[in-house]
Amino acid sequence: MKIIVCIKQVPDTKDVRLDPETNTLAREGVESIMNPYDQHALEEAVRLKEQYGGEVVAVTMGPPQAEEMLRLAVSCGADDVVLVSDRSFAGADTWATSYTLEKALKKIGDFDLILCGKQAIDGDTAQVGPGLATRLDIPYITCVQKIREFTENKLVLERMMDDGFDVVRVECPLLVTVVKDINEPRVPSLKGKMRAKKIDITKLSADDIGADPACIGLPGSPTKVVKVFAPEPRGGRAVFEGNLDEQIDQLVDKLMPYLS
Amino acid sequence: MEKTVQQDLSSWQGVWVYCEFRRGELAPVALELLGAGRRLADKRGVPLGAVLIGYQTGDTAAQLIGHGADTVFVVDCEPMQVFREDVYSRVLTSLIRSHKPEIVLAGATAIGRSFIPGVAVKLNAGLTADCTGLEIREEDGALLQTRPAFGGNIMATIVCEDSRPQMATVRPKVMKALEFDKARDGEIVPVEPEPDQITSCIEVVEEVVSEEVSVNIQEADVLISGGRGLESEKGFDLIRELANAMGAKVSASRAVVDAGWIPYPHQVGQTGKTVAPKLYIACGISGAIQHVAGMQSAETVVAINRDENATIFDVADYGIVGDLFEILPKLIRKIEERR
Ligand SMILES: Cc1cc2nc3c(=O)[nH]c(=O)nc-3n(C[C@H](O)[C@H](O)[C@H](O)COP(=O)(O)OP(=O)(O)OC[C@H]3O[C@@H](n4cnc5c(N)ncnc54)[C@H](O)[C@@H]3O)c2cc1C
Ligand SMILES: Cc1cc2nc3c(=O)[nH]c(=O)nc-3n(C[C@H](O)[C@H](O)[C@H](O)COP(=O)(O)OP(=O)(O)OC[C@H]3O[C@@H](n4cnc5c(N)ncnc54)[C@H](O)[C@@H]3O)c2cc1C
Repeated sequence: MKIIVCIKQVPDTKDVRLDPETNTLAREGVESIMNPYDQHALEEAVRLKEQYGGEVVAVTMGPPQAEEMLRLAVSCGADDVVLVSDRSFAGADTWATSYTLEKALKKIGDFDLILCGKQAIDGDTAQVGPGLATRLDIPYITCVQKIREFTENKLVLERMMDDGFDVVRVECPLLVTVVKDINEPRVPSLKGKMRAKKIDITKLSADDIGADPACIGLPGSPTKVVKVFAPEPRGGRAVFEGNLDEQIDQLVDKLMPYLS
Repeated sequence: MEKTVQQDLSSWQGVWVYCEFRRGELAPVALELLGAGRRLADKRGVPLGAVLIGYQTGDTAAQLIGHGADTVFVVDCEPMQVFREDVYSRVLTSLIRSHKPEIVLAGATAIGRSFIPGVAVKLNAGLTADCTGLEIREEDGALLQTRPAFGGNIMATIVCEDSRPQMATVRPKVMKALEFDKARDGEIVPVEPEPDQITSCIEVVEEVVSEEVSVNIQEADVLISGGRGLESEKGFDLIRELANAMGAKVSASRAVVDAGWIPYPHQVGQTGKTVAPKLYIACGISGAIQHVAGMQSAETVVAINRDENATIFDVADYGIVGDLFEILPKLIRKIEERR
């Protein structure tokens, strides 16, 4: 089975703040990490490979620095890694990102399964996976918490819903996005780290994948961010006065209107 | 699927709301979106349409009219009983193609966030995720869509100037539903899907409704949320007791979910669910940024923590500094006494 894993390098969001003077993202000094959900996607791919045989290729669209994350992917079990990188991809929204990934995957060749994270922790949209599958005209299932079995080219999956989960059966090729419940990612192995150091990273530019310039990067994106601002601060340390019992009484007064 | 420049934006008119319906019930966010949609439609001077997809929807369409819709397109047939991305996406895409609404809103629920992105790509439309604010821009009537990103650390306002429809998923509990008005007039349009729209690659083998999960925490008015401060699964039962006493639902921090005291669908935060209840009571939760990202839109926040410096107090409207194991039993008793 050939599995493609889409991974994204993201800033560690707990450190991302808005510069109050320029109103732009202060990303300096912010560490870049592999999107946490994508670590679970990669782990699931490697487990499937270990169980059923095959190959795992990790793909990212990103700046040259994303190489570092791709090497981490190799040390965690990816057989091959592809960096889709071009200045003209900058500013892509999910429409343009899924377009670019579609072109890149077509260039990479056949696959049985694509795994993505549920969402990236920076953009937080959860739209790239479904968009990519729709462009490739293959079925997709989002928020998968478990892959139960893979037989006769069909996957049986548990897909999280708001009120429980659905068990679905879908034939490959398909795209699946995963939640963190699906597995516990392994730590890089020593052997993996050695391989990661030496691996030759395949690089694809906009020309290489035959991307239409009108469909990539900022110009190709139908959504435009017109303003960013800091969320309104809320609350403000209103602690009750008095001894504990008195405080609890005051709290109960506040809570009474909410009882149902 | 190459890009088609849509030259004639003005041929797209009207505001639409996708109304989620599952197992005989309308998702509450549908009514909230009709409230928001009505406001936007009036501002634009255009009609408000609702799309109801489901099976055995009964008088739901009439209910949608009473809550603000001018027209309700009803796709009510057996294949719509289970949720399948490919079927739902084809059905909604085809309706949008034939009626050309300028704005399409859907709830940012598991179902909405799953199939709406597919619809947007088919339509070559921009899609803004998980919005918390929607306004019309005065100059050109474009939809200003505001949403949190970077785990809630920043807010962004997004427009789709050159493409139609302008599509957004909207977070539950943020918009306000209108009061039901029986006198409101509207038209119900039954829609029969084409056979090729309902053939699916996805077979739903089983739907598991979990007792504990069956209430979506995103729809709850009051959430009692527990953190590592409860110390054990048994300690966490205090949260369930308080929730029972108040008629509230239970949620948790990631530490609690990781410890296995409650399943993942109850997790609030950046990698869990984003909630906006009327009241959120955080017990033994430190207030890590990834947790706060998921609950900072709650109307009122109460924090109980023994560490007076815990950051959860920064986002709390009321707080008690003290030991949970002393406070919670007393609180539960006092509430029960006063009911
Ligand atoms: C403040 C802000 C708000 C934004 N809001 C929107 C919006 O509402 N709508 C919109 O269309 N765009 C939006 N964008 C742009 C969006 O963040 C980018 O398009 C981004 O490249 C992909 O979206 P995401 O980060 O949300 O990824 P998601 O769709 O959440 O990612 C899901 C999965 O897709 C895969 N994936 C995503 N990106 C890549 C990649 N580059 N390479 C490989 N795999 C990948 C990963 O498996 C990932 O887990 C916004 C950007 C900013 C800065
Ligand atoms: C990428 C990433 C994503 C994450 N996503 C999420 C997420 O979605 N949701 C989430 O919640 N977290 C998330 N986290 C984890 C987050 O950083 C915190 O580790 C987590 O929220 C801590 O949970 P907690 O507040 O329950 O535990 P702690 O931080 O351990 O806090 C326990 C609190 O209980 C108090 N306490 C202890 N005993 C008592 C007592 N007897 N009486 C009163 N108070 C007491 C303590 O003072 C302390 O403040 C994420 C982390 C990362 C890196």
